[in-house]
Amino acid sequence: MAPDPLVKPDLLQGTLDMLVLRTVADESLHGYAIAQRIRLVSGDRLAIPQGSLYPSLRRLENQALIKGEWRTSPAGREARVYRITAKGRKRLDAELAEWRELSTAIGLVLGTG
Amino acid sequence: MRWLLRLLRGRALDRDLDREVRAHLALLTDDLIRSGLAPEEARRQAALAFGGVEAVKEASRDARGTRFVEDWWQDTRYAFRALRRAPAFTAAAIATLAIGIGANTAVWSVLDALVFRALPVERSEELVALRHGAPSDDDPSYLLSYPELGRLQDKLPAAVRLAGMSSTERLYLADAERTEPLNVQLVTAPWFQVLGVGARRGRLFGPGDQSGGDGQAVGVLSDAYWATRFGRNPAIVGKVVRLNGVSLTISGIAEPGFGGLTVGSPVDLWIPTWMQSEVRFLGNSSARDSDTGKPWPPQNGIAWLTVVARVPERIRQRTEAALAAQYRAEVLEEYQNSDSTERATALRETLALQPVAKGFSPLREQFGDSLRVLMVSVGVVLLIACANLASLLMARGAAREQEIALRVSLGARPGRLLRQALTESLTLAALGGVVSPLVAWWGGLALLRAASAGPRPVPLALALDARVLGFAFLLTLATGLLFGMAPALRAGRAAASGQFRAGGRVAGPAPARLPLGRVLVASQVALSLVLVAAAGLFIQTLRNFLRLDPGYASEQVVAARIDPRSAGYRYDELPLLYRRLLDAVGPLPGVRSVGLAMHGLGMTGMRIGGIRVPGVSRRSDVKGQGQENFVTPGYFATVGMVLLRGREFTEADREGTPGVVVVSQSFARHFFGSEDVIGRRVGYGEPWFEIVGVVRDARVNAIKWAPAHLMFRPLAQGPQEYVLSVEARIAGPAANIARAMRAAIAQAEPRLPIREVVPVSDLLERGLSREQLLARLAGVFSAMALLLAAIGLYGVVAYSVARRRNEMAIRIALGAVPVSLWGLVLRGNLGVIASGLALGLGLWLAVQGLIRNMVYGLSPGDPFTLGLAMAVLALVGILAASVPAWRATRVDPASALREQ
Repeated sequence: MAPDPLVKPDLLQGTLDMLVLRTVADESLHGYAIAQRIRLVSGDRLAIPQGSLYPSLRRLENQALIKGEWRTSPAGREARVYRITAKGRKRLDAELAEWRELSTAIGLVLGTG
Repeated sequence: MRWLLRLLRGRALDRDLDREVRAHLALLTDDLIRSGLAPEEARRQAALAFGGVEAVKEASRDARGTRFVEDWWQDTRYAFRALRRAPAFTAAAIATLAIGIGANTAVWSVLDALVFRALPVERSEELVALRHGAPSDDDPSYLLSYPELGRLQDKLPAAVRLAGMSSTERLYLADAERTEPLNVQLVTAPWFQVLGVGARRGRLFGPGDQSGGDGQAVGVLSDAYWATRFGRNPAIVGKVVRLNGVSLTISGIAEPGFGGLTVGSPVDLWIPTWMQSEVRFLGNSSARDSDTGKPWPPQNGIAWLTVVARVPERIRQRTEAALAAQYRAEVLEEYQNSDSTERATALRETLALQPVAKGFSPLREQFGDSLRVLMVSVGVVLLIACANLASLLMARGAAREQEIALRVSLGARPGRLLRQALTESLTLAALGGVVSPLVAWWGGLALLRAASAGPRPVPLALALDARVLGFAFLLTLATGLLFGMAPALRAGRAAASGQFRAGGRVAGPAPARLPLGRVLVASQVALSLVLVAAAGLFIQTLRNFLRLDPGYASEQVVAARIDPRSAGYRYDELPLLYRRLLDAVGPLPGVRSVGLAMHGLGMTGMRIGGIRVPGVSRRSDVKGQGQENFVTPGYFATVGMVLLRGREFTEADREGTPGVVVVSQSFARHFFGSEDVIGRRVGYGEPWFEIVGVVRDARVNAIKWAPAHLMFRPLAQGPQEYVLSVEARIAGPAANIARAMRAAIAQAEPRLPIREVVPVSDLLERGLSREQLLARLAGVFSAMALLLAAIGLYGVVAYSVARRRNEMAIRIALGAVPVSLWGLVLRGNLGVIASGLALGLGLWLAVQGLIRNMVYGLSPGDPFTLGLAMAVLALVGILAASVPAWRATRVDPASALREQ
């Protein structure tokens, strides 16, 4: 079972979008796998409520940052797999740079930088 | 683009999402089974971990960004379903809105065409006219002479070109087939260039057309006239026609849409100014030290051209200064020998630039204010209709309380309910709005007909164009919001406060539940009172004018309006013509006597001259003017003008005998005070005329104009004057005699154009077209307002009675008599009517000043009219409230109480 999540359902929309974008940047994944990956990579610290993933995926897809297509897995299950687009990659780079800047700044203020 | 795709593929996307969520749950369940859970338990855990499936789907749909439109579509379909369920209400509402919006659009289309619209020429804001007069003049003059125009042009910056135009007159155009009157304007050669109007076909005027040196007479037709008279036949360009008997080549057709600078009086044909004397054009002019019988263009003393120019804003000041300087120089030169006061008076005047982006329009001056009043009135009618619809929608909303209560408890948000209610009202408004242009089109034409004097409708171009349709659209939107807002807010607020509960029951004096409804009805009564009072005033104004004694027997005089000047009669032919006219009409059955007049009764054309009395110094201002006319012997008896003193003209008063005149009472009083004027001398200088008679004052031009200072001279002593009217005193049916007169004149003088043959009373009524328009339309609008207010009151009372059914039933069961119940309900609503009347009275006092100069013979605060209007409204209100009140007494107590 999932541990108590650090991230509440009201996780900032933009942050969740960035996490999703970053996750599909390395390889194409379906929704369930994205949720698993985020949880795994964060060492079980970030367990996003699985349902809230889908509005985020729709938003990203509407902005043409990711693209989804139906595929059938080797196990015979069909799933909608998302991959990042060129536009998405550009946006991700920009967001990451901004994030680093911001976290450095906050770190400096909090005295942890 | 992608957004639109998402919107259109909404259902497919929903299905996709559903599939994806199911796949996700399946994968999660698989994992959980793999970790050792039983399939049943795994599915439960998976669903828990995922969260509310429907909520996720909702959130994802929101993320699609098309939510607003989808909701709107859903609301619209919902609104249509609701409207279909109440077909009677829907039909009545749509009809009300279509008529309301259509009537407003109709008045707007006329108001816009007449008052607001700019001329259809490019950069019309640059167009200016040269006006002269003192800066404070209310009635400035625009007329300049042809030589003046040339001198001004020389002094102006090269970029500013001046163009002159004459007044528009009816002349006669003949081709091989027929002769027809048309509206002709004389213009200087740069006319079309200055206005920026191009040729649709052929060529317009060039420098060669200025002087007529090469003798080539040309004319340019308007596109509209080309279409109506010649069916857009391209062969007409280059063709030779005859204008008042003068050969003329049609050189071109002007751009479509252009009909000159006078709105409501389109020009059919333009000809160069040099043709003035050739075609015997005698339009508006002001002459001084000159001979109007000789060609006008070379004479400095005849001002007959209105001068326009295109002057961009940045050089306007410079141009104005140059004009003023030149004008001043001319005045100084002209008055160098006059005394200083005369010179000072002349120098008070100056030349200035008057923007004419919207053109000139006598019609605008005549009807502009009236149309504004009508626009407000018809707007008020729509407002009252809106109040009705709002009341009805609220009553419906109240009836749907249970449905709304159910939806609130199912989680509908108040905002959504509000939006839905608004969508319903906007849908209604849109349905009405779609139909309204038809009403507007028909109404606009009807309005023009109502405003038209005489047989021809006002030639105002009404178009259902973007401006008019845009107005209708905005009005529809505003209407929908206006009558939908109150009910929607109420529904939304009630939903938010959880006020709705299933099976809500009302006891006691319930009307307080609908205070807004009662406020609306009171406002309706107030607004209706204002409209009814205004209509009453306008109707009485018209009646007061019609009751005025014109000073002659207008009902028994038929006038044949002729035009021997246009037909080309020479001076020496006139005496014979006049003899023949009298001989042709005199013996007709039904004609008691016949006379001729230079200017006929009921005609607004006139000749004004500066009158002098020998031995009294000249007064050059308006106060020294008299209106001159030439008539035949026996004329006063024929038209019924009362001779107070002295004698009529006789056959003995002719050329060669001493000049005699008959003057009107006010003429005598004005120039001689209380002295006896018989035998006194008066005139323009030597030779003086002797006054031989005095007639009672008469309103010879228009019933609205105060009696002028009239001076009549015998036609035989002015043998070169062109008679424009043959007037017969009749006994019998006017229409038949008029027909006989026309036939007799046509037979006696085939080449003489007859404009029309009508009773003089008809001509006088045409002068009241503004009053008739106001009285008729204000009457119609106030009747509409009254009806709508009555319906509104009826609705509110009926609603309150329906809600108090139980109470009524109990009262009846306890033995109340019908009359007391009827009184109970009625009393409860008298307050609404009374407060509406009080409100309306206050409103009237506030706005009555606006129509002060549109009423005649009574004041806008006329107590009788106001009292009558209030009585009418009170009566209508009580009747409207009585019907549902009476119905309350018919409640069957047993069934009403059982229904619970």
